[in-house]
Amino acid sequence: MLSDGEATELLSFLTLETRADVKGQASEYVLGLTGNRDGCRYLQSKPDCLQALVTLTSDPSIAIVKDCFHALINLSADETLHQPLVTETGLLAKLLPKLLDPEYVFADRICTILSNLSRHERTCRDVFRALQEQDIGLDRLVEVFCNQGFNKKASLHYLGPLLSNLTQLPEARLFILDRDRCVIQRLLPYTQYEESSTRRGGVVGTLRNCCFDHAHHEWLLSDAVDILPYLLLPLAGPEELSEEENEGLPVDLQYLPEDKKREEDPDIRKMLLETLILLTATRLGRQIMKDKNVYPIMREFDKWEKDPQVISACEKLVQVLIGDEPEEGMENLMEVEIPKDVEEKLIEMDAKEQAQMEKDEQEQMEKDKQESEKNLK
Amino acid sequence: MAAPAQGEDSDDGMDEFMEKFKAQKYKNAFNESNWEEEFNKVPMFMKTAPEIIDPEKNPDLACIQSIIHDDDRTPEEQARGLKDEGNDYFKEKNYKKSVLSYTEGLKKNCMDLELNAILYTNRAAAHFYLGNMRSALNDATAAKKLKPDHVKAIIRGAQCSMELRNYVGVLQWCDEGLKLLPTDKKLLELRATADKLKREADKDARKAKVKAKKEQNEKKALLAAIKERGIKLLKTELSRHRGSDSEDDDGHGGASRALADLELDGMGSQEATGACVFMDEQGVLHWPVLFLYPEHSQTDFISAFCENSSFMDHLAVMFGEELPPWDTERKYQPQNLQLFFEDPEKGHLYQVDLEKSLLNVLQHQRCFLKAGSPSFIVLVSGSLFSKQFLSGKKVKRSK
Repeated sequence: MLSDGEATELLSFLTLETRADVKGQASEYVLGLTGNRDGCRYLQSKPDCLQALVTLTSDPSIAIVKDCFHALINLSADETLHQPLVTETGLLAKLLPKLLDPEYVFADRICTILSNLSRHERTCRDVFRALQEQDIGLDRLVEVFCNQGFNKKASLHYLGPLLSNLTQLPEARLFILDRDRCVIQRLLPYTQYEESSTRRGGVVGTLRNCCFDHAHHEWLLSDAVDILPYLLLPLAGPEELSEEENEGLPVDLQYLPEDKKREEDPDIRKMLLETLILLTATRLGRQIMKDKNVYPIMREFDKWEKDPQVISACEKLVQVLIGDEPEEGMENLMEVEIPKDVEEKLIEMDAKEQAQMEKDEQEQMEKDKQESEKNLK
Repeated sequence: MAAPAQGEDSDDGMDEFMEKFKAQKYKNAFNESNWEEEFNKVPMFMKTAPEIIDPEKNPDLACIQSIIHDDDRTPEEQARGLKDEGNDYFKEKNYKKSVLSYTEGLKKNCMDLELNAILYTNRAAAHFYLGNMRSALNDATAAKKLKPDHVKAIIRGAQCSMELRNYVGVLQWCDEGLKLLPTDKKLLELRATADKLKREADKDARKAKVKAKKEQNEKKALLAAIKERGIKLLKTELSRHRGSDSEDDDGHGGASRALADLELDGMGSQEATGACVFMDEQGVLHWPVLFLYPEHSQTDFISAFCENSSFMDHLAVMFGEELPPWDTERKYQPQNLQLFFEDPEKGHLYQVDLEKSLLNVLQHQRCFLKAGSPSFIVLVSGSLFSKQFLSGKKVKRSK
């Protein structure tokens, strides 16, 4: 990489006071470094340089600001840079206030950086703490996120993944699950937001995380929140169900138009199913889902789905929906104690299933390859 | 002044003075018979105030009232006074009066924004209880404009929108309110209710759309079936006129219009019901058919004549066991009957082979259906009337 002397010189160019063209070239150079892993790792040991990048985001030249943000985004994508960025650059203190500035042109870039930084638990905590210090509550984030047109220059779609990451922390979930406010309810319609899969994915991820705490399931499934239809709509298709099946469905799922499309991103479909599976943990949840005719929706979905991993999740859900109720003492599937030999057997079965899935995926990929080759001819 | 009497313990002749009164009548004394009434007129003692204060009958009260609305006070003071007056009426549930007071208060155009916002908000509440939702909503909006953080106005706005079934509006009002008071239970409740009702309404809209589409498709299929059979539908003058003038609201206007014409035009004085041709589950058509008996100016209406049935099938039943009461000569027997349909263009009459099916006859080259309802003239073969009726007309006999 750079020699010590070169590094010092570079650093001296990365100040607000430096002449514009020199500054520009220096920041461009650093951006280049962040383009690959080695460059990032090198910069990991140069906190002054990282600091300089953060400082230069206030530069009057838009080109330089863009480069600095771009560099910071690249750096934040690398997990090893998380702690240095958060502890040695004052990044959070400087950028968080601008996040919710409706006029700030680079708000989207801040979102992306934050969503990167919050991916893993340790730095996620730092981000969360910094938000609290800046008096930016999660309900405020949700409010801005759900207010399209809040910032005319930034879509703020990446607030979705940020929220999703933050909710891996139980303390963050408390804010989203606040019963005295309208927070989680605002997020629900976005499970169907067509314009951005980032936003959609972020919302679904958030909802899934919120379903980890089964103490909240009753409330989530009640009219106060009514999470179920919003999880099912992306998975429901245009197929007509029988009159009887239709009548039992939640209102939002009745009389869907002929051109109803399902969620196109398989990862999001999988997350939706995982969330539904989480909600079957309690007896009440299972009862509600059975009563609201979730099974027919899943039946049609299973016919339509091609991705093996998603099919597997779907079938897990269906098994619970049509299976018998577990015996006394086992009602809460999350709290059941699994005897050792059963556990071993289950692990063995999981491994077999995993192998089978991978085999299916291989076959599917081969088929697709053959298809595309056919089309090329 | 009379000098004090000697030896008496008196205070300035008070006793004597008082003695005089026992004899004299006080000029303005209350009458013994109507003293309660009189009492009621004195402002201090009246139990209830009269609705309208007539300065002639009640000068004292009118006087006191004018002090309340004294124009020497500042506009703010006057407005405040009117606000209080309105509030008093409101408490008595006299909403109409309270509206008037608040309106007067607003007319003062005082500079106190908060006071005006309160006047608007209170008037909104009064209108709300009177059921004047639009006025109430306008007032709530005006209040909010003056003072965007006036939560009462926002709650009222949400409530009015709810009554007006504008659920999107309710959500907007509630969200504005929740920005100010994120934990307000009333706002949260209103929001949740509106959300639920909106989703119900969305479902109803979808349901209606599905139903309309289904009906549309059925109509299309029906028209296709009719066309497929080579049956010709005639547009009446009315429908032709309507067709050129009316706009289609849906893209499938053609199909529904043609059939709508069928239904609507069938509402003549002859048809008892607005029956229309329909297709059963096996794809067989059933037609509303009219039999005309010009000899006796009678008609028979068969609401669902299966296209595969023959005329004789029906006639055997209609004129089977009992002949109709108007058939005084008892001559309308199935074997004597002759049926004809008229070619509307040329005016020719075509005789119908009674053994043939309805479908067969309808497919005849010169058979045109008016108003989607086939009609047939029934005559008795060889009868005098039949001879007279058919003379001068071109008749094509069946083979």
